[in-house]
Amino acid sequence: MSQYAKKRFLVIDDQPQARDALRTIAQTIGAFAVEFASNYQDAIYRIRNNVPDIILCDYVLGEGRSGQQLLEELRRFNLLADESIFMMVTGEQSYEQVVSAVELVPDDYIIKPFSPDKLVLRLDRIMAKKQFFKEYYREKRKKEYAAALAILEAQRNSEAGRPYRFEILRQQAEVLLSSGDSAGAEQAYRSILENYEFPWARAGVARSLHRQNKLSEARSEIDRVVASTPHFFDAADLKANICMAQGEHAEAQQILDDVAKKTPRNYQRKRLLAEAATLNGDTETACAIMADVVANDTMPGAVTPEDRLALARSQVDANDLISAEKTLVGLKESEMQNLDLDAQASYAALLAISSPGRGKPRFAGLRPALISAQLTANSRLDILRSALTLGDHELADHQAEALLEGDEAKRSFGAMRKQYALHGREQDFRNIQKRVALKRIHHDEAPKADA
Amino acid sequence: MHTRLDVLASGVHDAKNQLFVAESQITAAEARYGIDLSEARYAIEAAANRLSQTLAAYKVLREDAQPAVTPVIVADLCAEVGLDQKKHLATAGIELSQSCSVVDEWPLDRDLVTDMLNNAIQNAGRYARSRVHVDARLDAGWLVFSVEDDGPGFASLPPASGTGLTVARRLAFLHRRQGREGGLCLSNGASLGGARFELRLP
Repeated sequence: MSQYAKKRFLVIDDQPQARDALRTIAQTIGAFAVEFASNYQDAIYRIRNNVPDIILCDYVLGEGRSGQQLLEELRRFNLLADESIFMMVTGEQSYEQVVSAVELVPDDYIIKPFSPDKLVLRLDRIMAKKQFFKEYYREKRKKEYAAALAILEAQRNSEAGRPYRFEILRQQAEVLLSSGDSAGAEQAYRSILENYEFPWARAGVARSLHRQNKLSEARSEIDRVVASTPHFFDAADLKANICMAQGEHAEAQQILDDVAKKTPRNYQRKRLLAEAATLNGDTETACAIMADVVANDTMPGAVTPEDRLALARSQVDANDLISAEKTLVGLKESEMQNLDLDAQASYAALLAISSPGRGKPRFAGLRPALISAQLTANSRLDILRSALTLGDHELADHQAEALLEGDEAKRSFGAMRKQYALHGREQDFRNIQKRVALKRIHHDEAPKADA
Repeated sequence: MHTRLDVLASGVHDAKNQLFVAESQITAAEARYGIDLSEARYAIEAAANRLSQTLAAYKVLREDAQPAVTPVIVADLCAEVGLDQKKHLATAGIELSQSCSVVDEWPLDRDLVTDMLNNAIQNAGRYARSRVHVDARLDAGWLVFSVEDDGPGFASLPPASGTGLTVARRLAFLHRRQGREGGLCLSNGASLGGARFELRLP
């Protein structure tokens, strides 16, 4: 009996004839259990309910969706275990270009037409590879990074690992990045580049440099990738993120706007675009995009309280306080209870502006925590704005100082200065800047990269 | 805005989808009636390959082709080429043998290289008396594929340069690494006595 007889197959294709063709091939190689999905939503629903062993997915899924987008979404929601096989099926030559560039790849792709024998050959190889990496997958899933890295290191030097040398290096780099060792990840990606100029490895270098807050270096690396591989959209996202960190919000928005037009159903990218638009002061775009995300990202659990906070933030920016209040009050009680301090702070700050009666007491109640806690840049900006509006100078200045001292100073600088100017406190803001600069000299801190 | 390339690519894509439907129906018929229609399937795949090659040739002649390079296990690539051609050559009484001494992965465009080797084997099969041999090995930092036959060899060296050869040369040249470019080398009188096609990749 074929080893594929006991495997559960899922065939994803929007064309009925092509679906039948794929089923026939799967049955020829011995598969009994072959399920179908005819579109993107259906595919996600089926995978969520019962993860198949082997997914055969057409690259073109209709309605502006692609198999690549499905793969990215499955990984994003952790719906696809490393042990499952995802095979892209394509008649499209252009998919090879995608696979050679991007960081997130399927286990393999196969070009139509193909014989059952060829599919078996390809699947057998993937099974062998999954078997080889089995122990590693287990440690990675448990987030035991040290153990995962130790396994990879041993495999890299083993005879059995020779056919998987690049894959091992790639996994090492990814684990180092996940575990927070950005300098180690940079090194690992660079050792891949010594062999060949893979766009995904160059992007990995840029990502690692960004995490180390080496922004100019990160920028010049990612510029190379984007210029040479315009179809590598994640690289464009990364470039936009780096631009934002550098305070170049107009460029970030432009990049994301161009890519988002080519990927109209990618809501993660739209979130990023809304963020860039917010920082760029383009409140109209930010509002429209976040409203689109909240209304149309139909993946269950995809729209988070953070998305609603981002929408409310853009509505407050646009001075549409009635809509902002509606958005905030619309958060469910169960969601409210699970907010972390950053989200609670943003919620209270935005509500204090859009609905002072309800928001001010909540904001006041959080004040001690807002002075003492480590918060994200977005939350600090929300608090800063509310504190300025409510005349709480001490709280506002505290947030400004923390932001200027932090890694995200350039990202937040324009927005901070604008808020202080709105309240006629430009001079005070300049004084805070001076104070932070002096403190840096006094403490004899090593200057921040790029600062 | 659709470029001429988009129009061609989309036509090729649709045609290949149709060919896939046809091949799967032949596969189903083989299973149902217990017959071997592998030559019909070979013809369908050959037609699809010709379409892909035409598109690749169009791109490469316009000089804006980019290889899609991924790490590829060389032995797997050889096995696949064998699967594509062995049975077909056998029907013409020609034995295809293979050897591969490369264990590691190599960065190359899997589909382009597979196409080039398939082409070279088909050519060799046309002139071979009874044998074609494919070999992959490492040579001073180069990955070297060769296809040899026991036919009469190339009539002239270098052979008259047709479109196919021009395209193949350019495709090989697209493979660049560490300051070196890939290339082709055609010769006569190798181990089987006939023609020898060699593809060298950095």
